[in-house]
Amino acid sequence: MATKKKILSLLLAALFLFTLLPAISFADEEPMVTYSDYQLVTESDSYKLYLYEPRMSILLENKETGVILESTLSDEKDDGKSNAIWTGYMKSGVVVQYIKGTNNTFQAELFNSDHTKTYRNLKNGFACDIYFTKEMFGFTVEVTLEGKELLVKVPESSIREDATDTFISAISLFPFMGYTHLGDTAGYMLVPDGNGALINLTDKEGRFSTGFSQMIYGRDDGFTDSTTPSYLWDKYDTVLRSNNVIAPVFGMAHTDEQQGYLAVVEEGQNRCTIEAQPNGVMVAYNRCLAKFLLRDVYIQPLNQSNSGTVTMAEVDRGHGDLAVRYFLLSGEDADYVGMALTYRDYLLEKGALAKKDTSYKTRVDFLGADVEPFLISTKSVTMTTTENIEEIYNNLRNAGVTSLLSVYKGWQKGGYYALPINSFSASKSIGGNGKLVDLIKESDENGYDLYLYNDGLRINGDTNKFTMNAVKKVNKRTLKEEPVKQVYDLFYYQMPNRAGSVLMKFVSSYTSKGVNKLALAGISNILYSYSSKGSYYTRSDTASAYEKTVAAISNNTDLILEQPFSYLWKYAGAFLDMPVGSSDYMFLDEEVPFLSIVLKGTLPMYSDYVNFEANKTEFFLQLVESGVFPSFYVTYENSAALIYTNSSNLYSTEFTTYRDTIVDYDKQMRQIAAATDGATITNHEKLSGGVTRVTYSNGTVVYVNYSNQPVSVDGYTVDALSYKVGEAQ
Amino acid sequence: MERKRTTIILSVFCALLLAFVAVSPMFSYAETPYKTYTLSGYGDVQETQTAYLAYETLVKFGDEAMNRPNDVYVTDDNEIYVADTGNARVLVGNLEGELLGIIGEGTLKSPRGVFVTEENKHVYVADRDGEAVFEFDRNGKLLNTYGKPTSPLYGDNLSFMPIKVVVNDAGIMFIICESNTNGIVEISPTEGGMFLGYFGTNFASASLRTIIYRAIMTDAQRAKMVSNIPSTPDNLAIDERGLIYTVTRGDESKTLKRLNIAGINLIDKSRNATIPAAVTAGNHDNVYVADQNGYIYEYNNEGDLLYVFGGKDDGSQRIGLSTMVTAIQADKQDRLYLLDVDKAQIQVYTPTEFTSLLHEALYLYSKGLYTESKAPLEKVLQMNSMFDYANRAMGRAYFQEENYNMALKYARLAKDYEGYSDAYWEIRNQWLKRNITTMIIVIVLAFVLIKVLKNLDQKKGIFNGVRNLSKSIWSKDLMSHIKYAGYYMKHPIDGAYGISHEGHASWGASTILLGIFTIEYLVYKYLCGFLQKTVREGRYEVLSDVGIILVVIFAVTVCNYLVCTINDGEGTVKKIYTYFCFSLMPYILLTPVCFVLSHVLTTNEQFLINLLQILMYGWIAVLMVLGIKEVNNYTPKETVKIILLTLFTILIMALLVFIVYVLWAQVFEFISAIFGEVVYRLGY
Repeated sequence: MATKKKILSLLLAALFLFTLLPAISFADEEPMVTYSDYQLVTESDSYKLYLYEPRMSILLENKETGVILESTLSDEKDDGKSNAIWTGYMKSGVVVQYIKGTNNTFQAELFNSDHTKTYRNLKNGFACDIYFTKEMFGFTVEVTLEGKELLVKVPESSIREDATDTFISAISLFPFMGYTHLGDTAGYMLVPDGNGALINLTDKEGRFSTGFSQMIYGRDDGFTDSTTPSYLWDKYDTVLRSNNVIAPVFGMAHTDEQQGYLAVVEEGQNRCTIEAQPNGVMVAYNRCLAKFLLRDVYIQPLNQSNSGTVTMAEVDRGHGDLAVRYFLLSGEDADYVGMALTYRDYLLEKGALAKKDTSYKTRVDFLGADVEPFLISTKSVTMTTTENIEEIYNNLRNAGVTSLLSVYKGWQKGGYYALPINSFSASKSIGGNGKLVDLIKESDENGYDLYLYNDGLRINGDTNKFTMNAVKKVNKRTLKEEPVKQVYDLFYYQMPNRAGSVLMKFVSSYTSKGVNKLALAGISNILYSYSSKGSYYTRSDTASAYEKTVAAISNNTDLILEQPFSYLWKYAGAFLDMPVGSSDYMFLDEEVPFLSIVLKGTLPMYSDYVNFEANKTEFFLQLVESGVFPSFYVTYENSAALIYTNSSNLYSTEFTTYRDTIVDYDKQMRQIAAATDGATITNHEKLSGGVTRVTYSNGTVVYVNYSNQPVSVDGYTVDALSYKVGEAQ
Repeated sequence: MERKRTTIILSVFCALLLAFVAVSPMFSYAETPYKTYTLSGYGDVQETQTAYLAYETLVKFGDEAMNRPNDVYVTDDNEIYVADTGNARVLVGNLEGELLGIIGEGTLKSPRGVFVTEENKHVYVADRDGEAVFEFDRNGKLLNTYGKPTSPLYGDNLSFMPIKVVVNDAGIMFIICESNTNGIVEISPTEGGMFLGYFGTNFASASLRTIIYRAIMTDAQRAKMVSNIPSTPDNLAIDERGLIYTVTRGDESKTLKRLNIAGINLIDKSRNATIPAAVTAGNHDNVYVADQNGYIYEYNNEGDLLYVFGGKDDGSQRIGLSTMVTAIQADKQDRLYLLDVDKAQIQVYTPTEFTSLLHEALYLYSKGLYTESKAPLEKVLQMNSMFDYANRAMGRAYFQEENYNMALKYARLAKDYEGYSDAYWEIRNQWLKRNITTMIIVIVLAFVLIKVLKNLDQKKGIFNGVRNLSKSIWSKDLMSHIKYAGYYMKHPIDGAYGISHEGHASWGASTILLGIFTIEYLVYKYLCGFLQKTVREGRYEVLSDVGIILVVIFAVTVCNYLVCTINDGEGTVKKIYTYFCFSLMPYILLTPVCFVLSHVLTTNEQFLINLLQILMYGWIAVLMVLGIKEVNNYTPKETVKIILLTLFTILIMALLVFIVYVLWAQVFEFISAIFGEVVYRLGY
């Protein structure tokens, strides 16, 4: 430890030395800003906060190690290869993107743009009132340091826009927080893609033209997508949608300095983009940031054929505070595990996460019925009836599967795509209400939990011709989802309050039968802006409406949610469809089970369907590594029967095909779960030779070997493409 | 100070190293950002199990990066040769990213194509700006240079700009040259490059429209038209048997060709790449085609599409998507190498378990080992029970095993008409064999029974009751009219007289007949035997069918009436409607027969149904013509005139409806535009 300290202090010394040298040699030019130009604002027991007023640039110094985290590009690290706009972007503590007329490509910052600013002292920090004189808008940035937490905030009340045609589009606070140059500093950036992914801070040799840039909680369907995607034969989209950002976090770790941070977007996260740009994307620096979106431009069509359009800026900006909380991490904590643990503690403390029953269950979902065209109407294609489920349950019970979680999809009258579900009315073809209720009650007694699936978001546009309950986009046109499907190819979104009342109606008719197990999808993982009756609603409005609905439902039901966004976690009894991988961006260097570490032992997680995974062995190992429970989608009938239905993409679901796999997975996962039950993950390491070591709070260690050779580690031999459960040494 | 600095640097280095080891990249590729599609028997696009996983991306070999590379070749021992166009050289490397050699530096100007012979590792490079094909040995020694052929057959004014080259076992080069539309240049290595001729020439196709245009255009206009020059193949490949594969863009169904040594195309059906960039032969009689936009197509040896996957990168930079593909290769392990000129990288894909099983089945099946191919096919179908190719192969395999019921089931799933027919023939044959005696007994018994009953009836009149009843029914007004339709069918001239003068015209009877016709039409269309079916299974458009029938009968009746009234015709609307409806009688009587036949006949015997149908439609036509003639009391000449006029009137009416529709659409558009404007202005 002492040597480590020594190295670090030496490093710091060297850094200062480097900063001094050039400052002297170029004295005749504009003097370089160095650390000595910064003034101490405040200090907590572990960090000192310095400020350089002209650029509103801050420095954070770790009092123990002396390591410094910079928030803007320092003059001595400036490679001088960037143009004025980029230099301004990099050297300013705050960057504003603004709309002039209908063009949103302008930038204002504190380095090049004319502005006034006044500093005020706050308890534990400072506030800065900024006003851009030419653009005529401004706001206050408050920076406070408490313990190891740095809070950067723009209060809603301080945002002013005085010009009639110039508006703030986006605000980035300290976009260069903790930046590094090329491969100079070892470490990585944490990206909230899928379960979690890392971009290593290595020299990328200019290979990437873009980095990670995704809106928190997914893209906004309320705005028309302006890019025209390229389709196979002009019709089929072969590219899968990338993962949504489920939690509003990002992070930076400088592993050699053992310093880093986890950033949580605390306010304004509903309309905010997280960016993580590796070097080579415009400039030679690695940086990650949150960009708050206040206002955007959209395309307003003027007629039915969309031949006449005008581009408009939104009438009003989004209202609400903007805030990013940086958790400063050092020493052992300055890695992705530390970030995950910090985030978990934060969520638990805030009450955004609560301990749920995490006992092991294999998830086996069923498809009840779908429809295919017949004469002038449709006819039901029944895949799994209640009796079939009973038979499957008996079969699995006899094979030693003691507990199970099932989601029953397409149980309702009219089949899977009969949406919305207004009341509890099961399809006759699967056995009707009576049998369904009996099945749920009976299997519950036997430890098999059967949940009914309800997509609270969509309206089937082919069977519901009226669109008054359908969501209208910002441009007042109905929001449509048009999948290339055989029977139904038009879907709308229900208005959030309508979705709430429909769902509550369903819940009351369902729970009146004495059952209450509900799997809610659709509204658990979507946010959009919309307009209704002349008013404009933001993503935050949608989020709060959905949260209200979900909260009310969770009071009356045993509720599990399909891939819920972080603000709904506390209402969920289980997290369905947890991604274990990433979206396969080329600039990602590694996938890490970030969300799994956050949730393991607190909220049970279930994976995507094993059926449709091409590489089942590796997928299974990933489940073992991340502590996510496996999921299967089965039908009693052969899936070939679905060929003329909307569900024709379910190409392999027959129970007899998967029976042995289900039993095998159940046996193995149950064993692991027994050793880790209720425990949380405390460490996750990727060792050499393709082995990952996951340590649990109860001392259990799980080794996963992804390589093709057996590997010895900690005295255990882990077989090729296999895993081992051991004890901590 | 100096020592201290060294310590600092060292410690930084160590820290860096430690950090690197701690997070050593072990990237797992469990998911892919693209979907995989296959085709159903009807040519519908269906999603399927991921066929290939994006496995590795090669951006450089050793420290040598590529610059706008245009071609890649992978040998059997997995050496990768890249025509590194931007750096004017050929790079040799391997999957681990190691550099094994650099060939042709200083000699090559703009290498666009590369080919390596397996036997002695001779490297052929097509150099566009060097205007030659260079032959090197594996160590980079230049062995031969083949410049522009001197033969007058090549064409004196043609330049020689080779962009792709393949070489067969005899050392004969097949070269695609830029701006040479004569075909693939075939050069023998003897005598320093003897021109053998053009190979696999594409033919220019002229559509009917072009031909008409050409006939009526002036010379100046003709000169302006896009020249009708045959397109040059964009890329080519050679397989182990020496067959040449070419891809040509804009050639629609002939995009992919497999040419034998005589230049004859062996494939002519396939769902094709829109902008084909490259082609390569696989190890299982399969072929891969890469689209410039990153779609990869795999075909079996008959040219049926097995998969299509991949896609265009929209700038989000996801692994396995491409920007601009120029070459594709498959190695002995079935891995695919996709060269992207824009990204200057080679993306390697590896087959999934599903694909490996399919390849195994494909191979066994093509070798005629049907029974052996069933095991892998079964596994394929477990993973995707809708995979059409597997269903078809499975059907054929069961057929070989003489399990005809299963063969029938799979053939129907796969829409394999031939297989279905064969299996059905066998099943019918077996049924006939089993039941022939019973059938004969039943027929004889029935015959005897009828005779006995007839005798009894004659003697004792046991059917008098029934007879009276039927008489009383048929003598009802409506029923008698319907019965009259039967008479009209047999005696159209007398029948027509009856319609016009004896009060046999009837709204009710005609409408009932039209109703029966409609029902029979629908039943036949949707429920006839599988082999006669013209619509897809599971597809029903009954409303539009009924609508079309009603519109047609309405148009025919009204137009015919309009024309007749101004041409001294004697027909009223009622009479005209009646003769048109009565004329449908042959259809009403014969379609049930066709329906039954369609369920018991195989492909070879389908002509019987066709014969019946020709008879039926001919009869209907005769009845209609005679109806028009007799009811209106026209001469034959007048009848022809009336028929032509009626057709013309129908045409005009259709045009009128179309114009009204278009105008209405305009009005609607206008109103909605005003509404849109109001919505936008009011902000509502």
